[in-house]
Parts: sequence; C-alpha cells; structure tokens
Amino acid sequence: LSSLPLQILLYVNGIYYIFYFLATLAMIIYKSQVFSYPDDFLAPDLAVLFLMAILEVPRLYLGFKGNLTEAEVPLGLSLGLTVGSVVLCVYLLLWQTYVLWADVLLNALLLSAYGLESGLKVMAIAAFVS
Amino acid sequence: PADTRDATQERVRSAPAPVTDVARLCVCDLLVAQCDVNCCCDPDCSAEDFSLFTACSVPLVIGDSQLCSQKAAVYSLDVEANPPERIFKLIDRVNPSIFCIHATNYKEALYLKSPEIPTPENFDQLLDKFGGATFSAEPDSWNLDTDAENPPEANETSRYEYGVPVQTEDAFLRLPSPVVTSWCSDANPAGFLVNQATKCIRSVSVEKCASIQALSMLFYINSSILAVPKSSQMVNITVQSIVVQSLNGMRTLLSSSDVLRLPMVLDELCINAVLGVNYHITHTDTGEIIGAAAAFVLGAISKEALSIEQSFEISFTQENTQPVPLSGNPGYVVGLPVRAGFQPQGYPFPAAFLSNKHSQLTILQSTSTQDCLAAQGARAPVLFGYNMISGCKLRITAAMKCQPLAQTLLDVLKGQSFPEYVASFGNSQAQDVLDWVPITQLHISEQMISHTWQCPCQIPVSLGIEVKWTKYGSLVNPQARIVNVTATITTTTLKQLPSGRERIIPITSSVVFTDISSPAEPSYKAWPTINIKLPFDFFYPFV
Repeated sequence: LSSLPLQILLYVNGIYYIFYFLATLAMIIYKSQVFSYPDDFLAPDLAVLFLMAILEVPRLYLGFKGNLTEAEVPLGLSLGLTVGSVVLCVYLLLWQTYVLWADVLLNALLLSAYGLESGLKVMAIAAFVS
Repeated sequence: PADTRDATQERVRSAPAPVTDVARLCVCDLLVAQCDVNCCCDPDCSAEDFSLFTACSVPLVIGDSQLCSQKAAVYSLDVEANPPERIFKLIDRVNPSIFCIHATNYKEALYLKSPEIPTPENFDQLLDKFGGATFSAEPDSWNLDTDAENPPEANETSRYEYGVPVQTEDAFLRLPSPVVTSWCSDANPAGFLVNQATKCIRSVSVEKCASIQALSMLFYINSSILAVPKSSQMVNITVQSIVVQSLNGMRTLLSSSDVLRLPMVLDELCINAVLGVNYHITHTDTGEIIGAAAAFVLGAISKEALSIEQSFEISFTQENTQPVPLSGNPGYVVGLPVRAGFQPQGYPFPAAFLSNKHSQLTILQSTSTQDCLAAQGARAPVLFGYNMISGCKLRITAAMKCQPLAQTLLDVLKGQSFPEYVASFGNSQAQDVLDWVPITQLHISEQMISHTWQCPCQIPVSLGIEVKWTKYGSLVNPQARIVNVTATITTTTLKQLPSGRERIIPITSSVVFTDISSPAEPSYKAWPTINIKLPFDFFYPFV
C-alpha cells in the first residue's frame, strides 16, 4: 500500500523547494550587493544552488512514481538522489561564503524535511519488498 | 649576517597584524604614552584622568554591526559617583535582524585588505599596477602637453571680472584698510567694480616724515594699472585734484594739480602728508580699465601727533555714463535712500523727472537743541524700510503771528524742496514717467472748525509720510516696489496766549513703511492641450 505520509511530504517538499530556491537566489543577489562577494566565491555558491535544483526534479518525480506504483526501484533511486541533495544542503548551511540567519532557518527546515522523507522512503521500500 | 638579513626580510614582508579584539581597540587614542582628553578607552589614562572627563567620545566599540552576535566594548562615565569614574563593560551584542550574518567562510569578508608590501620580487608588478595615470594623485600630470592649455586660457581672462584684484605693474592696486585692529594694512587689494571706502590709522612721527612711504603721494600713483590682467597695456594714474587741509581742519582746493607735492618737514610740522586718497577708475563694459585718477587730501602733521587717520575710497564708473546711485535693481534695497523728484513744467508733454541730490525725500533731523526755529535745516534722507520719527519743540510766545509761523513750520517739516514724485523701483529711470508715483498730500485738522465763516489760523504740528510698498516679481526673488506715498500734515489751531505767557508744542515728523503685498499665489501653467486635427478628407470614401 502506498505510504500516505510520504506522499504528503513529497508534495509539500515540492512546494517548499520552489520557495526555498527563489529565496536563496534572492539572498545571494542581496549578499553580492551589500557585502564584498568576489566572483570566485560567488560561482561555487550559485553552482551548488542550481545543481540542487536540477537534482530535485528527478528526485521528487521518482519519489512520486515509486510511492504510487509501489515500486521499490524508483524509490531507491530517489533515496540515492536525496543523499546528494542532503550533501548540497549541508554545504549551503555550513560552507557558504556568507551564512545569514535566514539561510540557517531555510536550510535547517529543508534538511529536516529530507531526513523525514528518507526515513519514510526506507519504511516504504521495506513495505514494498516484503 | 645571513640570518639577520632573512629576519629583516621577514619583518619587511608583513605589515603589523590588525587588531581585532574590541577590548583593545581604541580609535581616540591618538597621543602615544599620553592620556587623550575624553577618550575613555585610552590605556594611558589613569583613574584621576577619568575623573576629569566630561563625556566619552567613543561610547561603543564593535566590529561589523551586521553580525548576528558579537562582542562589544561599552565605555561610559559614571557622573553620579564622586569622583566620576569610567565604566568598561564587555557585552554580547545581538542583532535581531533576520538577515544578520551568522557565519562567514571568507576570511577578508568583514575586514579591509592588507596592502601588499613591496619587495624586490614584486616591485615591478606593483609599479605596473599602481604607477599608471589612474592612480596618480596630481591631476595636472595627466595632461602631457601643458603648452597647448595656456593660449586658450589667456584669452579667457583677458578682462577683469567683479571682485578680481586690480593688477598693477608690480603687484595689486592697494587700498590700505584696517585689518582686525584699526592700524592700516597695505596689503588689501582693490577689487574690480567693488566700491570701497576705508579708514585706518597709521603711526607717524614728524622726524621720519619724509621717509614713511605711505605719507607720500608717489606711493599711491607710481605704479601703473594693467588695463587687462596679465597684459602689458598700462594705464597711468593721474592726479585729479589736490586738497590741502590745514591743522584746524579747513580745506582748500589747489588750482594746479600737476605738481607732485612730497612730504617734508617745515617748522616742526610735516606738510604734504597724505590724509586721504580717492581713486576713480573708468572702465569699459568689457572689463577693461581705461582710466584712473586719484584725488588727494594732503595735510600737516604736528610734532605731538603719534598717529593720523587716513581715509581711502575707490569708485568705478563705466565710460560715457553718468553715475547715478541706484537704490536697488530693480526693487528697493533696505537702507538705501528713497529716490524722489519733480516734474518740470511742460506737462502734459511727457517730460523727464529731475532727480538730484537736493530733491531727495528727506525728513526733519532732530538736533541737540530741539528748538524748531533754530533747526538750521538739518535733514536726514528717508531710507527705504527704515521707519523714522523725529521732532522738535516749538516755543510759542504771545508775540508770534500765526501766518508766518505756519509757513515757517511747514518749511521746517517739509524742507526746502519737498519732492512731488517718488520712484517706484530702485532703478527707475527719469524718462519712464509711469515708474514714478505721485506723493498724495493730505491735510488733517486736529480740531473741528465749528464756525465755517471764521477760519482760525492753523499751524502744522506733524508730518506723517506713509510709504506703501509691495513685493513684486517672482516668488523666489521678490522685489520691493513703492506703490503709494501719502504725506499727511496735521494742523491745529493756535490759541492766542495772554501776553507774557509761553507754550511749548512738540512738532513731529515720521516716516512709516507698510508692506501691502498680498499673499503670493503661485500660478501654474495650463495643461497642454492635445490639438489633433484630422485632415478634412480623412474619411474619404465615406464622406
């Protein structure tokens, strides 16, 4: 049986991610205007943000598909992509050039969502396999 | 020797490390090993020094205020305690903004970059980077051909402008004037078109009379004036007139002013000493000086005199014009005399007004004797904007006849030539008849005449001139314009006195300036209308 909490969480995650992406992009632009943000520090931060956005799309799609069709392969792939997203999120939380308090809040929220999702996916895979 | 050289190289290569601890940072600590006044963070100050401070010039020392939480050093003076003592607190300051910086991974984010110390290795590269024209501190060195700049500049300043010092052969045309104290300073240049009059005191002695340069006429006329600045065209200063003042103050105009009279000692007096110089400079309307004349007042200095007062004046006149002192351009300037005049016979033919010094609008001037009949005709000019009141006392005896007394009082109040018209603007020309306002004369009788067939003699006791003026012109620069002038004479009956008795009546005259300008209403331009007209055959096939 498909996991309803996982479905809800994936749906909410999708909406939250759009907001997160726009907010983080706006804050990077703000930081580049207000603080001294040389190009060789700006480039990695922007690259990480866009990479995370690119990863998020297949991750959510595979998660939806796997959960609804009760197939463990897409869910497993989605879990793998989640690990990558977690790493990028931790980078934005700890190793960004300027970490504002708003950055800390947004990234912490996203990390907790990822963590909860991963737990639910593992449970779903276990349910589907057996 | 080798390792000491390495050590010095090590020392040279790095600048001193920046201090980032807020407890040790002190911006007001400027004097080394001495206590700075009102600097609460100065480590050189002791407790006694702190007790003398009035306030802390640096109350808070923090790093970048955008950090979320940081250490801050707070300095304050506790004035309640006796003696006042300094309070130093190290607190944690929290920035509540959501966009405060939580952490940075970029070392130089919040600090200024330390400049690179030049070493033999990187000197060439630094010179290439910072030695170019963009980093030069003197903008003059940017222009490689400086010769090309000068000729156009010479044409630009080929005339005098207002306030520019009048140049002579050696320096500037001097107008000695008092600087700070009343002693003469010879370093004051005369400015072009700046009419000045100065008085100053010079210390003299009869023995050194011939050697003091400033007492001799030559000092003021020997250097010729340059016609235009930086040119070689010279204008000699001619002697216009010489007036000799004797020791008791009487002045005589000399008939011949060609002879140069130099100071010399005669009978324990120093004669021909310059007491005053009056320069008259004629100029063209393009800023070129074409004539200069000086009028001298020479006097004698007695042996006891240790100092004399010299007065200097300079005035500029444009060529081919008669200087008429304007009272404003165009509106009246407060403090300048109100211009008035007469209309000579020949009306209604448009005639010009006669306006000269003797037909000014004047008011009776109070004298120390306060006796109207002994007034001697002292009058003061009416200055625009200054309300004045003056008067005198009239002593009436029984023997005085009314009619001649009335006429005398009218003369005393109004003066010899009371004008008929007053100029509306400060620069009204005599030819513009419409710019002149007639003076309305009113007669008010103090006591009602009950018997009309018996006209008792009335004597004027007061003259009140009321000048109504308005603000005219633009809102940002309103000009004063005289609209109406009314001269009111108040008369009273002269009662017959029993013989032997005397009466004292006060006679007053006053001038009042009233502002009757209506509140300004800014007017706006009309909205532009869109004027679209279609050609008449626009709807051709259908019309």
